[in-house]
Amino acid sequence: MITRVNPGLKKDLVEFGLQDWNDCFHCGNCTALCPLTRNDNLFPRKGIRLAQMGLSEKLATNVDPWLCYYCGECSDSCPRGAQPGELMMVLRRWLTATYDWTGLSRKFYTRKSWEFSAIGIIAAVIIAIFVFLLPPANDLASNPEAYLNDQGGVMINSMVTGIDSEHFMDYIHTGDLIMALIIAGFLISNILNMFLKVIINDKTVRIPFRSYFTEFWRLIFNFGTQARFSKCDNKSYWVGHLLLMTGYTILFTMIVAFLPKFQIEEITPWYNWQRILGYYATFGLMYFLIYTTIGRIRKSDQKMRFSHPSDWIFIVLLGLTTISGILVHIFRLTGLPAMTYYTYVIHLAILVPMILIEVPFSKWSHLAYRPFAIYFDHLKKAARKKAAKVQFAAA
Amino acid sequence: MSNIRIGVYVCWCGTNIAKMVDVKQVAEAVGNMDDVVISKDYKYMCSDPGQELIIKDIKEHKLNRVVVSACSPRIHELTFRKALENAGLNAYLFQMANIREQVSWVHVNRKEATKKAIALVRGAINRVRWHEPLEKRRVDVNPATLIIGGGIAGMSAALEIARADKQVILLEKEKELGGQLRFVNRTFPDFIPTSDFIEPMKDDVLHHPRISVLTEANLNELHGYIGNFIGHIQTGAKELKVEFGNIIVASGLKPFNPAPMENYGYGKLPNVITSLELEKMLQTGEIRQTNRKLPEKVAIIHCVGSRSSQYHEFCSSTCCMTALKYSNQVLDMLPNSQVYQLYADMRAMGKGCEELYTATSRKNVMFLMYDQEDGLPYIRKAGPKEDCNLLIEVNEKLSGERIEVPADLVVLMVGMEAHEQAKKLGQTVGISLCGNEFYIEKHPKLDPVATTTDGVYVSGSCQSPKNISDSITQAKAAAARILATINYGSVEVEVTTAHVNEDICCGCQTCVRVCPYGAISYIADDRVSRVNEVLCKGCGTCTTSCPTGAISSRHFTEKQILSQIEGVMLELMEN
Repeated sequence: MITRVNPGLKKDLVEFGLQDWNDCFHCGNCTALCPLTRNDNLFPRKGIRLAQMGLSEKLATNVDPWLCYYCGECSDSCPRGAQPGELMMVLRRWLTATYDWTGLSRKFYTRKSWEFSAIGIIAAVIIAIFVFLLPPANDLASNPEAYLNDQGGVMINSMVTGIDSEHFMDYIHTGDLIMALIIAGFLISNILNMFLKVIINDKTVRIPFRSYFTEFWRLIFNFGTQARFSKCDNKSYWVGHLLLMTGYTILFTMIVAFLPKFQIEEITPWYNWQRILGYYATFGLMYFLIYTTIGRIRKSDQKMRFSHPSDWIFIVLLGLTTISGILVHIFRLTGLPAMTYYTYVIHLAILVPMILIEVPFSKWSHLAYRPFAIYFDHLKKAARKKAAKVQFAAA
Repeated sequence: MSNIRIGVYVCWCGTNIAKMVDVKQVAEAVGNMDDVVISKDYKYMCSDPGQELIIKDIKEHKLNRVVVSACSPRIHELTFRKALENAGLNAYLFQMANIREQVSWVHVNRKEATKKAIALVRGAINRVRWHEPLEKRRVDVNPATLIIGGGIAGMSAALEIARADKQVILLEKEKELGGQLRFVNRTFPDFIPTSDFIEPMKDDVLHHPRISVLTEANLNELHGYIGNFIGHIQTGAKELKVEFGNIIVASGLKPFNPAPMENYGYGKLPNVITSLELEKMLQTGEIRQTNRKLPEKVAIIHCVGSRSSQYHEFCSSTCCMTALKYSNQVLDMLPNSQVYQLYADMRAMGKGCEELYTATSRKNVMFLMYDQEDGLPYIRKAGPKEDCNLLIEVNEKLSGERIEVPADLVVLMVGMEAHEQAKKLGQTVGISLCGNEFYIEKHPKLDPVATTTDGVYVSGSCQSPKNISDSITQAKAAAARILATINYGSVEVEVTTAHVNEDICCGCQTCVRVCPYGAISYIADDRVSRVNEVLCKGCGTCTTSCPTGAISSRHFTEKQILSQIEGVMLELMEN
């Protein structure tokens, strides 16, 4: 099969953060060093080459960039300073935009104005909902005593005018579920699109039907452990990432599935499961945030030397969400209902756009694409293995 | 021959010889042979103390023959001959026995190796007895020089010699000077306009009082030998007879014609051009397709006819960098265009070249690698709906993908090949061609300027494909060599030559036919052959082919060679 080269892809990739890509003249140092190189996969060189030649379709069937966790050894050892690791990062952004059928991801990655506007609009909608539908009780500031429970903490579901705590919970919980459904809808359709591009469009392999089930455990396993990340020599980043991932998953699950058990009027003792899990998750997020913020400012680590706007937006949104969440918690415990209300609104006005934009369309989508890429990669491997066996038997 | 006194020296060569040959045993074994006065072994005979040892012994023991048993005579024969001269002995009263290359390096049994070494040394001792002192001879040098070819190499050499106030005759077969550089717009990697230096140089050459330029001229015949050549030069209808002492052949190159390569469709497909045709466009200042439109996609294919088992196996050495130069020039003229480089290997050696490669790779240039073994690029016409004229199909080596490259204009980087008249000119001046039809230099490393014919030097791309600076370097080196001989006024010529015993020569002329140097001529008046000892290299071909035994070679007489064989055989039979 002949593929037409396309120099236009370069301009496209530049918009996703690409620098001097032609510096690579394929000496193969990176491939020799990369722990992910296999006999049948010249990693990361093959991907670099496809990108240089602009073979976009081949590149879209290639899941290699997702298998890379950017330990940065390739960039460190590159004699031409071609930053192969950074190219993988750029390709991950490009692939995210390629899988996204709505085209929003491409806009968010390549136009800062689009991303800021989207965040602003969603935040405004959230604030408007609170201003018009869930305004604070009139005496929230003047008579704080009325909104405290027996332990002296703020009764978080009773701060709104004209709505009792059960109805308030319903509002918030319904909003949560809607948000979860929206991102699930986008994410699942994008993953289906990824499946189409990676598996269906790749005519070189035919996946044995059985493999879809026998290889499925890899998806779950890798999502839960980030095991592939641990293959990089520097383990500290994997630890940070695992803390972030588990913390984030815990919080997301608690908010979406267990909010009525979690956001309750009384203050539970510190050893209660919700609070233990919440503290663990907060620690995980903060650890990761501090680690990456310092790293990206100092640029000491290869993988954090280059920061695309999307990297900073992600850190800033997650940081603000975490800090506002911590403040809500502190104001609740110290019995300040008015402060609790306002920080709660701010917390949601940051959290909701972060999740709606980052998860399906931007940096955070890798939480789904990475394990799926490993799954698809193993499906292809199984297919090749079977094909080889058939060939062997025939011979 | 009672007054023969031979000194024998066996070299250890560190452990090179000593580890496989019992050098002490060799020295002892030959020590009591007839006429051997002294027999020693020493760690490094070629070292200063080693040579001093020989010189001291010659004086002390009144030695008049010396045998050194060491490495190949190709390496140190001259060293020891000089040592003999320093001791006041004729240099030819010396013989070497090679017990390193011929013994220690090629054998594994120490006992057998030692035996063979003794045999070789005995042969050398037997031979050296019959050595005769030979006197070195010199011939005077005519200070004029003939330079064939008025390209950058020929002109550089001409100016260098003329600046030393020596006469130069510069032959150019075309109407004007300048050679191939007349067709090249700018240099690589520095983009200097070639006219910046070619035009002033032409001017200098044409107006130099010591240089006579003959254009549209050819060398018809050449007679004579180093220092004293006579050339018959054809200019227009008349033939000039010119005398000169040295010759520089700087006859240049010919660009490869890609028409026979079907895959490129050169000559059939429009918009497929050679590098020199692109140069023409660059010179006029506009790059256009055949329909006068500006090309948006320019593909440059490297190694056309080069590094191929079918056409030329060698690398033309300048095309890679020229192709990079074109990329930059095309992008300067057509800033929105896309350049593709289809290369086989990027060879960017030389000052500033790797830098040019790096700088070019950061521009709108896509580098695509192909493997000549895996099929050459194939050009076909694009369909009417395509946004390009031509499509190049190729197996891209680095990705392993079969790809298609769209192009409006395809530039074929044609290599250099030897000039079509190189063979004829080589025969006229007496120099040989290698397999690639470029002239062979005397020694690829130690003497890349001279040829096997004394007084004839080669420069520039007639010897091998070269860039401008390498051509000039070689030309100036040749000029320096010639100026050295002119300055000395005479040159030393070979003394181990053949000579004819005219009493028994039957005049059959077999020797005239076999002599590779044209050194023997038949003297019809005397009905004998005679050797021009200045041209003779002492190869011995005539000696072995002479049916009457009338020819003998000095230093390789029958007596000397048979004695040597006898010495070797006696040792082998006795022990």
